[in-house]
Amino acid sequence: MSTAALTAGLDRIPDQLGYLVISEDGVLASAGELENDEHTASVIMQMVRTANRFRLSGSADHFRSPGSEDVPFKRMSVVLEDFVLAVTVSGQKVFVVKRQHAHPEHVTA
Amino acid sequence: MLTSLFLYISYIRLANSLDFVFFLCSMKNPAVVGVLCTDQQGHNLGCRGSLSDEHGGVVSVLAKQAAALTRDLTDTPTVCLESESGNILVRSHGTITIAVHKITS
Repeated sequence: MSTAALTAGLDRIPDQLGYLVISEDGVLASAGELENDEHTASVIMQMVRTANRFRLSGSADHFRSPGSEDVPFKRMSVVLEDFVLAVTVSGQKVFVVKRQHAHPEHVTA
Repeated sequence: MLTSLFLYISYIRLANSLDFVFFLCSMKNPAVVGVLCTDQQGHNLGCRGSLSDEHGGVVSVLAKQAAALTRDLTDTPTVCLESESGNILVRSHGTITIAVHKITS
């Protein structure tokens, strides 16, 4: 898949400050404040591998909605004072978008 | 001997506090179904509801890794794992890492 196809649409995300597209081989694309940010890419990949090990045990099964897939997360957000890193995995690639944090107070789920 | 006693009492206090914290969270927001506290090594300091011992390691490592995303030591990141079964919020406070599981209504 071409780089343009991978990043199509990422530029149009509201309040986005930058993005990364990462695979097991390394950074496939980057832009904005995350351009060439190998450090963030590396940390995010570590976090994705860690988060993938998170499983809710059998006693919590009734909390799952019917038909839900057994995946640890659909999106991982890292909320900091001024920005949020939104991370999702698709097609063996990790997409990271840095967005302006509109509400720097308490995080609510 | 005194140090061990102090640590034991502190643990008991934390365990009772965790019951209170979980009760408070659940009352304030019934969507809270699990709470977990770990130390820096990922050892379970107390858990209630859907979060248990087995999640301690992942939770503490996740918080530690997230801290590497910023150079500002005063800016503590909050990690949120979002899925259909709900959200897991993870954040460190000093040497303790706290995770809260909230289901989506």
